[in-house]
Amino acid sequence: MLRFIIRRLLITIPTILVVITLTWGLVKLAPGNFYTTDKSIPRAIRQRIKEKYGYDKPWYVQYAKTVWPIIRHLDFGISLKYQGQSVTSIIVRSLPVSAGVGLMAYLLALIVGITFGSIAALKQNSRWDYASMAAAMLGISIPNFVVGPLLVLVFSLTLYWLPPARWDGLFSRHTILPVLTLSAIYMAYIARLTRAGMLEVLRSDYIRTARSKGLRERDVVIRHALRAGLMPVVSFTGPALAFLLTGTVVVEKIFALPGLGNYFIQASLNRDEPLIIGIVAFISITLLLMNLLVDIAYAFLDPRIRY
Amino acid sequence: MKEDPPEIRNTTNGESDLIHTPPEFAVAEGDIHVLPEDEFVAGTSLWKDAWRRLLKNKLAVFGLIVVTLTAIISLIGPPLIKSATGYTYDYIPSDVMLIKSIPPFKSAAGSFSWSHPMGTDNSGRDLLARVLLGGRISLMVGIISTFVSLIIGVSYGAIAGYLGGRIDNWMMRIVDVLYSLPYVILVIVLLAVFRSSTAVGQLILLFVALGSVSWLTMARIVRGQVLSLKNQEFVLAARATGVSTGRIIFRHVVPNTLGPVIVYATLTIPQVMLTEAFLSFLGFGVQPPLASWGSLAAEGIQNIGIFPWQLIFPGVTMALTLFSLNFLGDGLRDALDPQMRT
Amino acid sequence: MLLALVLSSLSCAAPARNEEFFGKTDPPPDNVMRYISGDEPESLDPHLSSGQPEARIFLALYEGLVEYDAKTMDPVPAIAERWDENNDSSEFVFHLRHNARWSNGDSISARDFVYSFRRGVAPETLSRSASLAFYIRQAENYNQGAVFVRDPKTNQFLLQKDFGGEANVIPLSETPLNAATGEFKPSAAEPTPDKDTAFHQLMHSPERLTLPGAEKARQAALAKNPKLQEAVAGKEFVPVKAEDVGVEAVDDYTLRISLRQSTPFFLGLLANQFFRPVPQKVIETYGRDWTNPGHIVTNGPFKVKAWRPYNELTLERDPMYWDAANVHLDGIRFFPMADQPTMMNLYRVGEVDAVANHAIISAWVDEVRYKKDYMAAPEAAVIYMVMNTTKPPMNDIRVRRAFDLAMDKETALKWRKIVKPLYGITPHGIFAGYPEPKERKFDPVKARQLLAEAGYPVIDNKNGTFSCPSFPIEQVEYTFPTAASNKITAEFWQAQWKQNLGITVPLRSMEFKTFVDSRSKLDYKGMAFGAWGADYMDPFTFLGNFYTPENDNNTGWWDKRYVDLLDEANRNPDRGKRYELLGQAEQLMMDAQPIIPIETATVNWTKKPYVKGMYPNAGSLFPWKHVYFERDRSKWDSGTPSLVATTTDNGGVSFPGN
Repeated sequence: MLRFIIRRLLITIPTILVVITLTWGLVKLAPGNFYTTDKSIPRAIRQRIKEKYGYDKPWYVQYAKTVWPIIRHLDFGISLKYQGQSVTSIIVRSLPVSAGVGLMAYLLALIVGITFGSIAALKQNSRWDYASMAAAMLGISIPNFVVGPLLVLVFSLTLYWLPPARWDGLFSRHTILPVLTLSAIYMAYIARLTRAGMLEVLRSDYIRTARSKGLRERDVVIRHALRAGLMPVVSFTGPALAFLLTGTVVVEKIFALPGLGNYFIQASLNRDEPLIIGIVAFISITLLLMNLLVDIAYAFLDPRIRY
Repeated sequence: MKEDPPEIRNTTNGESDLIHTPPEFAVAEGDIHVLPEDEFVAGTSLWKDAWRRLLKNKLAVFGLIVVTLTAIISLIGPPLIKSATGYTYDYIPSDVMLIKSIPPFKSAAGSFSWSHPMGTDNSGRDLLARVLLGGRISLMVGIISTFVSLIIGVSYGAIAGYLGGRIDNWMMRIVDVLYSLPYVILVIVLLAVFRSSTAVGQLILLFVALGSVSWLTMARIVRGQVLSLKNQEFVLAARATGVSTGRIIFRHVVPNTLGPVIVYATLTIPQVMLTEAFLSFLGFGVQPPLASWGSLAAEGIQNIGIFPWQLIFPGVTMALTLFSLNFLGDGLRDALDPQMRT
Repeated sequence: MLLALVLSSLSCAAPARNEEFFGKTDPPPDNVMRYISGDEPESLDPHLSSGQPEARIFLALYEGLVEYDAKTMDPVPAIAERWDENNDSSEFVFHLRHNARWSNGDSISARDFVYSFRRGVAPETLSRSASLAFYIRQAENYNQGAVFVRDPKTNQFLLQKDFGGEANVIPLSETPLNAATGEFKPSAAEPTPDKDTAFHQLMHSPERLTLPGAEKARQAALAKNPKLQEAVAGKEFVPVKAEDVGVEAVDDYTLRISLRQSTPFFLGLLANQFFRPVPQKVIETYGRDWTNPGHIVTNGPFKVKAWRPYNELTLERDPMYWDAANVHLDGIRFFPMADQPTMMNLYRVGEVDAVANHAIISAWVDEVRYKKDYMAAPEAAVIYMVMNTTKPPMNDIRVRRAFDLAMDKETALKWRKIVKPLYGITPHGIFAGYPEPKERKFDPVKARQLLAEAGYPVIDNKNGTFSCPSFPIEQVEYTFPTAASNKITAEFWQAQWKQNLGITVPLRSMEFKTFVDSRSKLDYKGMAFGAWGADYMDPFTFLGNFYTPENDNNTGWWDKRYVDLLDEANRNPDRGKRYELLGQAEQLMMDAQPIIPIETATVNWTKKPYVKGMYPNAGSLFPWKHVYFERDRSKWDSGTPSLVATTTDNGGVSFPGN
């Protein structure tokens, strides 16, 4: 197990490097650059800007200048558009917003999803089951950028209960609608996965044994079935994170939240090279680490799996 | 054989990884020579069985019907509407009054009229015509992109899985790396560097861009399947008789992976449609005067406070179609899975 | 089920929408203004950010020699109490007030302004709006890194006039100082010109010759002029330094600025954020980080309290401000946001007190324009289409004219509801007394005729449509930056051309930065979107775009007669005559048709009725010290407040109330 973890961690480093290189290459290819405004700049000033940021040097020099500080001390440089703000400080500042909303949404989704999914599995083919699964299907099919504005329409613009946008700290009225919007789709997925996983497990031999041993139903469910039945949910967490990012971007745009997703879109549109690379690297590391965690969790849940 | 579960596991719904194709279905069509006497004993094929099971699943049937209906309506709808009300998706009335509305909402311009059953958008274009066109384009984007990703993903995964060893390792590493690339940048660059001046060209670019994103998971699934299939007897037999590697992969192994592939493809289509809608948000999707449900929803969101129907109609239509596609996908998966679940 | 919920709640709430104002109108309990300023500010350094969203913030944080009048946007005294202008507007002397202070208590002197102007045009600062200051002597040369040529033996510099590089007319700021009384109009307050200095003598001597600083460019310039090359041999090159720029602190509270040409609009230009002072000591201590909330020092009515990028910039009142007694608000919270519907949603729900201009998209205008909190007034900004005159078919003026005449702008006006059609490049109705260019109205018949003359006959299909098969449609498209309102307008024009000329012009939407790049490089095919907002309140800010074929010209069109007319106009001290000449230049340009003018913008924003002292002026820039909350409902604003300036002692400002 330990060797497996170390091996994975070691592989992470070259993977991230490749990711950074690819991103850097793509940004270089894109036309337009960060200092373009709607009033054009006299040529000499433009030339000077180029020199300052090293854009007139050959590509391998630029590449080295970008990548070497990252390797040495994780220095992603300074944002080109947001003068004087280091990429790291931007990420540190916007991460709590995205992570906060994302985690709260996912937690909500887990709680609601697992509950309803288990109930559906236990009361298979009942009204509960059909209702939950229909609702879950709805959740998967309605895009989050439809759910969000509809929620805004009802609870904000009509009833004036909640604010339609902006951010005021994680535990404020402003967070409610974004979290609800983001969690909708995950609630649905998790409910379905839980139900499927539980059904599979509930039919298996060792559950039958547990039941025939005379254990209480609750023990059977919670101590035995849930553990194995949640495996699909656990494995879903990996790609769920990728979804969470794009979902967060949409939610951040609708509700004007100062999170990582919003910064990322702005950075891409602004051709803000260091910021783009910084955020991409950060996301990649997070994804890879989370996938590793998921694999480890998998091992805990299913003793048959061994690395 | 010691499988590597994490590789198969990374699918978007964990259920398909729990399918292990039992040996009895791993039969390549051309390899069995049926003796004349056996013909009477012939049972039903895999596909006919699946079809029967599918039909028994009410929800899946519902899904199938809706999807087919949607496809048909998208095809013949616009000309029908044109002859009924005279409006096409891009006709901007030059008499300035627009934004017909739907009760109970009101707009300054006017109220409901049968010539605009769904109301109009901000420029006065008929929303119904646009929603129908949107259907055409969204479905087209969904299907063609999925098809593209299918081709790429299946080939890639099959080759990786069959050849195994270091080639497999490297190929999967590449997949891992590509997974971590945020595709927004990919698409922005793609659409900016390879400019296209026509709307059709833009669409083709979109197909390529979207297709190139979703093949990753397809590759993983196929690879997983191939891994479990490649040591089956029929493969060994084919190799023994000297069939070339290429033919083995594409004519023997791949057809047996089609089950999960079809299921995943049906489930990819709604995802791709959602992605396209998201791209329209940023203005990279379908360009005017064309429209897709995604771009219509993006336009509708702008006016959610005042003209909510502009979002509600495309949104509901899109949700309904995705809904049905998901049911269909579910049904297909259940049908193709020999272990009866429900 | 969700749908049912939506519909039911909406039908209950529908009556609430028939109020006089758009949304909730309860004033906040405190005295802190919440305002949506526009896009996230790039920086709080006035030299580094040139956009309008930042400008609105800078009007709260920094105060310059002059400030905008809240209603008319004319320059009114701020840090400068009074000033003298010479007879051809080429030299200004400012007398500063003695009690102006920075937010850290230090007093503000003329030296602060000298430092700030020098820093603004310094090449290391990389300011993108430095060109605004190029009217100051040697500012451009310093910024571009040019060099003087000096004879090491005699220490004399080579002069412009010896090598034919001189302008036709020498501004008074360059004529020798013996004619001093001819230069200044003596007034009661200022009977004699100010104290003289060596630097002033220098400014009043013939202009020195400058050459490009970069080696290659210099060689190229020398190669063109053999006489010059010969004269340069054996001389040394002296870089133009900050001290050579034409700004001087005559004493602690007197600032003299020498300009390289007649610049009658210079005072209006000085209100621009670029010319607001920056704190020398803080910048020298902290460098790039000087604008961080812990370090930043400002001199305006408000100072920075906290900054959460993309979320909120919080300002509080500055007790050190010289006029703090007349500042009404206790603080301002700026929310950066560019999405119009979100802005209006926040406004409606009462989360903000006012929104930035152009907040209301055209589709909403009908719903909003009759509300009493809607601000409608003409704006000093225009929208037009540029055409690439360097490539066919747009290099043919007949084709360009045809496309212009085939557009029914009057109908578009009705459709967009709040803007006026435009027939030139200067905005309509902003500059009092300015002769507007000839109106070329919608004339599809003439348009088709012109196209036919140019070699692309238009065929009448007899069923009400036209077609033009010979037109090279693959060489023409209309490019615009991605935005909802742009798309809608673009589609309208596309439909117009299709209906009237039979040509379906492809539309291309581009992400903003890619778009600006492509347009300024003249990469685009056919036509592209163009928009220009005034940098200062004078027609020249619009006309000057076509002074050179580069930079913001975007069309490739250039005509010496046009440039000559503009120069002659600027030299003319008589305002009426100047306007006349500018008008002639504009007519000349419109006759050549490098652009298709479309509309003059309208300010188009909303503010709550209890917000007073904030006027929908032509630039949407608000001197925040005058803004206050009115708690007495009977005194609330009902409709657009009048922009007519009522004159008082300090010349054009009247507060509070209307």
